Amino acid sequence: MIDEHTEEVASLYAFDLLEGEEKSAFEQRLAQEPALCTLVNELRAASHGIASLAPLASPSPALRNRVMASVSDPRVPSRSHPLRFVLWAGWAAAAGFALAAASLGHLYLEARTDAVAGRESAAIAKVDAESTRQLLEAERLLSQGQLQSLRLAESRIATLQQQADLAQLKIASLTSLLVDSPQAQAIAVWSTEAQEGILAVVNLPALPANRDYQLWVIDPQYSLPVDGGVFTVEPSRGEARVQFKPKERIAQAVKFAVSLERKGGVAKAEGPMVLISP
Amino acid sequence: MNSVPPASSPAGARNDGEDAELIERVARGDRTAFGALYDRYSRPLYSIALRVLNDAREAEDIVHDVFVALWNKAGGFAAERGTAFGWCVALTRNRAIDRVRARRRRGELLTQSLPADLGHDENRNGNTDSSDALWQKEKAAIVRQALESLPAEQRTALQLAYFGGLTQQEIAEQLSEPLGTVKARIRRGLFRLRELLPDGL
Repeated sequence: MIDEHTEEVASLYAFDLLEGEEKSAFEQRLAQEPALCTLVNELRAASHGIASLAPLASPSPALRNRVMASVSDPRVPSRSHPLRFVLWAGWAAAAGFALAAASLGHLYLEARTDAVAGRESAAIAKVDAESTRQLLEAERLLSQGQLQSLRLAESRIATLQQQADLAQLKIASLTSLLVDSPQAQAIAVWSTEAQEGILAVVNLPALPANRDYQLWVIDPQYSLPVDGGVFTVEPSRGEARVQFKPKERIAQAVKFAVSLERKGGVAKAEGPMVLISP
Repeated sequence: MNSVPPASSPAGARNDGEDAELIERVARGDRTAFGALYDRYSRPLYSIALRVLNDAREAEDIVHDVFVALWNKAGGFAAERGTAFGWCVALTRNRAIDRVRARRRRGELLTQSLPADLGHDENRNGNTDSSDALWQKEKAAIVRQALESLPAEQRTALQLAYFGGLTQQEIAEQLSEPLGTVKARIRRGLFRLRELLPDGL
């Protein structure tokens, strides 16, 4: 149940009207309360209806030429593979998961592979070692009309989650809270038994030198999220793959979140949350 | 008066699929598709930026940057996370608000009072009412009707919150109302709007 005061704060947050500590405190709540997260997303969507109050106007014809000229740079060839969209929109989550899963496989799944790895997980796991195979697999899926971007990746994650339960792994998909980077996403694979995990991230914005991303693990036994360590991303693609060991013993990792913090990280989240798992 | 269409798509849900196809082509470096998206999105996005900034040149800068971002990030755009147009609307508004706030921080105070229609020539450049444009108007009319059904004080507070680039306190000062009253109006207005707008609009 969300009380009236929280509704008020959520409304202000949807308009980016919160500042300082009030904003940080609310973002910490967002990291821990999925219902609140959903409410904020709905309020943000509603707020953009207000855009319709803007009288319709036209930019100058020269703007079109200027925009088109700006996108004719030499980066085009690097984007030109016909499966680029597939790889980075839908396949990114699966590939990210594959990176994490394949690595964790060495740690946790080696002895159980035959028992738990289904045909799809096997195909995904091979992606890490065989980039060519990844491409072919993506092409096959595309040709079958099965690749529906993130939906497919999430479906695979759900399947693998079932398998992972057998191996006592927690697999979570983290989605973006960034309005400017809604495509940012991550996969966290966590072993309570080993008290370590792997986080694979794509499409997070690059950071200035004085900032770090910081991973948090939410365990109900602690009143605050547990520090999972800091990381940065490769600037051009916003990618990172990090192995993490939380600062406290985790009994139950119910959620993962990533916040933007000052360099080196903080003991208690202060900055805005950028990614969170359901 | 013409107005910006709702954020699902500039031409409504029936064109969301076409937009998604164009985005896919843009992600593959298809400049023709990118040009088509520009033709679909540029007017509403420019209108939002102009509404916030009240400066045609700055509004064009924002629209330019948003389209470059769309070009660079089309490959990472996941349709399940919303429409491309909705993403562009959010980005346009946020960047315009950031610019307003930066302008204010530099001491160039924004002195507008309540937002009012800016009276732009809606059909310069020879835009005509295609079937898509008519559909846009229908969708926009639904949103406008929802907004207009709100009490005037709520609608005004929402407009200031969305377009103004102001702090909570500044909105209260503009409206000459206590801060608590303004917060309550924003909450009631936004929650009512959420109820009134159909899903996907």
